[in-house]
Amino acid sequence: MDGRKTTGAMNDAELARLLVQVRAGDADAWGELYRTFAPAIFRFCRRALPTREDAEDATTEIFMKVRQKLGTFDASRPFTAWLYKVASNHCWDILRRRRIRQDLETEDVEALPLEHPEPSQLERLQAEHAGAEVRRGLAKLPDRARMALVLRYFAEMSYDDIAETLGVQRAFVGVLLLRARHQLRDILRQGGAEAAFAARGKS
Amino acid sequence: MSHFDEMTALLYLDKQLDEGRDREIAAHISACGPCRNLLQALQKENIWLEEALASPDEPIPWRLSAPPESENIWASWAWTATLAAGAAGVYTVWSGMIDPWLTQASDAGFNQGNVLTMLFFSGAFWKGWDAMQSMIEFLSIASVTVVALWLLRRHWRRFTVVAAFLAAGLGMLAFSPAAKAAEVDHGDPNYTLEAGREVKTDLIVAAEHTRIDGDVDGDLIVSSRSITVNGHVKGDLLAFGQEVYVNGPVDGNVRTFAQALNLNSVVGKNVMAWTREVDMEEKARVGGTMTLGAANTELDGEVNGDLLAFSGDLEANGRLGGNARIRAGRLRIGPKADIGGQIRYRGGRQPEVAADAKLASPIQILSRGRPRPNYASLGFYWRQVLAWAAALLFGIVLFLMAPVFFRDVENSGNRFGVSLGLGLLFLVATPVAAVVACLTIIGLGVGITALLVYIIAIYAAQVFVGEWVGEKLLGAGAGTGAAIGRLAVGLAILHVLRLIPFAGRLVGLIVVLWGLGALVLAIHRRLQPQFAPAA
Repeated sequence: MDGRKTTGAMNDAELARLLVQVRAGDADAWGELYRTFAPAIFRFCRRALPTREDAEDATTEIFMKVRQKLGTFDASRPFTAWLYKVASNHCWDILRRRRIRQDLETEDVEALPLEHPEPSQLERLQAEHAGAEVRRGLAKLPDRARMALVLRYFAEMSYDDIAETLGVQRAFVGVLLLRARHQLRDILRQGGAEAAFAARGKS
Repeated sequence: MSHFDEMTALLYLDKQLDEGRDREIAAHISACGPCRNLLQALQKENIWLEEALASPDEPIPWRLSAPPESENIWASWAWTATLAAGAAGVYTVWSGMIDPWLTQASDAGFNQGNVLTMLFFSGAFWKGWDAMQSMIEFLSIASVTVVALWLLRRHWRRFTVVAAFLAAGLGMLAFSPAAKAAEVDHGDPNYTLEAGREVKTDLIVAAEHTRIDGDVDGDLIVSSRSITVNGHVKGDLLAFGQEVYVNGPVDGNVRTFAQALNLNSVVGKNVMAWTREVDMEEKARVGGTMTLGAANTELDGEVNGDLLAFSGDLEANGRLGGNARIRAGRLRIGPKADIGGQIRYRGGRQPEVAADAKLASPIQILSRGRPRPNYASLGFYWRQVLAWAAALLFGIVLFLMAPVFFRDVENSGNRFGVSLGLGLLFLVATPVAAVVACLTIIGLGVGITALLVYIIAIYAAQVFVGEWVGEKLLGAGAGTGAAIGRLAVGLAILHVLRLIPFAGRLVGLIVVLWGLGALVLAIHRRLQPQFAPAA
């Protein structure tokens, strides 16, 4: 797991010691654990959920769950992976409860013809679109596609964990990811075309 | 040579292919330029996505700066204590404050059934049932809007909601019938309503000097250095100024906030005056009650109802139909006085009563000032327990409403010196600023609100200091129950310290300054930009 996203300067031994203190009921240690991981979890929720308010509420609820479930955490496994599992399950539950997930998406994806992209076009797209545009494009994706990309490229989850979180077959995860990347590219291309059209209109 | 597809490339990059297929792809890309390029492009896309998603583009919100509380074994005890404290607090507030106040108000002629109706129907802004129709319409629209915004809140950004509320509020104010039914004038610098002229609606005036010689069909609301009303006001008169002269008849109520009030006419309903001087002339008549707060009061006219007065010097030399409840440094009852009801007087000197004065009953003299604490009485300690419970209840409500802010104020208390200095500054400056704001119509709402918040903040100061003291003694345990426990212990200690003769008053003052300063510091910090995430 990339330390840049989660633990900052804290190493594994320090994290392990902190977790022991939290489990022993040390309020200061809990505060430190929270301050270490809350920014990353908030950002994760921000990418996964539609609004900032949803992300704020979800972050609070995730940490309440973490505190309740910390006793069940297997200390031999990476804490960050477990934390993201709790977070992703919570976010996906929120989206599912709201019934805004598109249930027919599976069939659509399976029917999608996968075009072989031109590498040069891909590289041009990457060069033309900055991070903020990518994040805006991501917000326009259907929930499952957005969630798949966030789980894989933000939380760095394995295909097994993604399949379990989203409730799909493991073999389907690759298709889901590829489809999501195609949709994101289309959104960015469309945005670029609209911007170019608008610029031409002004000139 | 046939190329592999994008799906295969992605699975190869993610190490999701079986061993045989993986070797096959590795061998293929070593010989195939286009497939190698595709693989590289996809790999770059991976990095591009990771960087875009991981970018700390927005700061973590302030409300997430502290960890959330979770339920623990303290909770049930805490809620039990809360309910008990709540019951005790309600009893304390009712028996200690509201009930005596209601009795006092009832003595003064405010005879409506409960506090809300009394405040509303005796207030200057009550205009009768006809005006209520537009108010009901306004409240209906406002309620529907609030419910709609609440339902849509998850789909809106917070600032959008706030902006919508403001826009809706301003819109309703601008287009409501009540707003249209008033003439608003700004003097340049003076304003005069000429004799013979009649304003058919309410009249609102802000000017250097205001003179009303004509008639006003509705209410007259004036903010001015000097105000002279010679015409006929058919509604209420609400006056803010230095000198207020009421020479013409007022059918409704007169409410004044001024340096001096000179009343020389007939007032149909009640008079309420918060002024330095009150001079009621011999021919003045008040149909209802009179409520006064003044340094010097001279009453030569006739009051049909009751009199409630807080005054330095009070001289009564007219007719009073009802009872009088007077608290004054000096009370003189002149030879022309004719008091129909009972006089209850609390003051520094014995009242001076002229030989020719007519009193229906002897003056009842009440003991002056607060009774000294009777440390031997059980009732004294019971009252202290009730006061502690009321403060605890207030603190719990405050904590549950805004736990993060509550902790923030408590932490600000660590800066003792700064808190004390800021507390002193705001203790003195806030009422001055609020009173100055009240002198203008625009600032009136702000001024009154500021005074209310000021009073609440002074009471709340003990809660923050109590929590701070509790934490120093018990440690910073997590959870709502622990916080309430700290608050209970800290407040108990503060209440015990306040019982110490002489030193207790100093403790009380320090607590107010310290808590108020910590509150101001915390609010100041809130107004600073949000912090950026460390990760």
